[in-house]
Amino acid sequence: MATQRRRNRDSEAAAVGDEPMSVAISEVAARQRVCICGKVTRMTARPTSGQPALAVSITDDTGSVTAVWTGRRSIGGVTLGRRIAIEGVAGLHGAHLEFTNPNYTLLPRHV
Amino acid sequence: MKVIIAGAGSVGRYMAEQLQESGHHVTLIDNDAGVIASCRQQVSASGVTWFLGDACELTTLSAVGCSDADVVAAVTGDDEDNLVVSLLSKQEFAVPRVLARVNNPKNEWMFNDMWGVDVSVSTPHLLTGLVEEAVTVGSFVRLLSLEGGRARLAEVTLAGSSPAIAKELADVGLPREATVVAVLRDGHVVVPRDDTVLREGDEVLVLVTGGVEDEVRKALVG
Repeated sequence: MATQRRRNRDSEAAAVGDEPMSVAISEVAARQRVCICGKVTRMTARPTSGQPALAVSITDDTGSVTAVWTGRRSIGGVTLGRRIAIEGVAGLHGAHLEFTNPNYTLLPRHV
Repeated sequence: MKVIIAGAGSVGRYMAEQLQESGHHVTLIDNDAGVIASCRQQVSASGVTWFLGDACELTTLSAVGCSDADVVAAVTGDDEDNLVVSLLSKQEFAVPRVLARVNNPKNEWMFNDMWGVDVSVSTPHLLTGLVEEAVTVGSFVRLLSLEGGRARLAEVTLAGSSPAIAKELADVGLPREATVVAVLRDGHVVVPRDDTVLREGDEVLVLVTGGVEDEVRKALVG
């Protein structure tokens, strides 16, 4: 069941979001499926309700945004200064936009 | 407001009708064709949108317009499904407010922001709270958790021995993080003000944030 859901999720993500647009971080809007690239500038362990969570700030030339992955303290390969791309839907948390469990891609170190 | 309800059982249907009557735009999802058909017949004119599908599937949530929903309520009779609906709503659609029903109180610990749940409602837990509230005088009863447990609604029925008796509310010594939201006295609701004087038998409803419950208990129970 779980694998079936995962498979569906992959194939459906495209259908749901109609190919996420790749945008500058300053242009991320709430509740739109987007893809952004940037450098990891901050990593914080942020336990919520007693469960671990990892909050990562991603910055490009236009601004920065936070992505939170729940249930983990670290992600292999995601380190300070690393360039990553994330794809997902950001929601408003107070005044900040935050991605919850977005898909991520590690980008090459030297471009 | 646009509200999506997963699970067209008695809870879901009741909520849908109530919310629709208050003028909200309600969509109800269930994966049982028979249930949906009978709902359509019963309340055909009510304006609730019915959708046949599995609310645990992204395509279903997308089809009912989850991406601009204000509230998603996961109220199926199955805790796993409620958690999946909550997580998907938060993670894939960033729904601002996600409510979930806890069927088995043993699962309540999972219904938090890690699974995308903003507010969880556990009927057994609520009932226990209400029973306690009905039978106990002079103790501190938690009724409801809000904001993922960060705020709690609690009730104290003042016994004769309470240190708060015959004091004005401002002098009771409640911490800043606790607000008296209502005082029930002789079947009436007294809107609390600083100069409201508390009496024996008053039911005091307090909204408590942070870890100040012990101070509240000390001020009201003794």
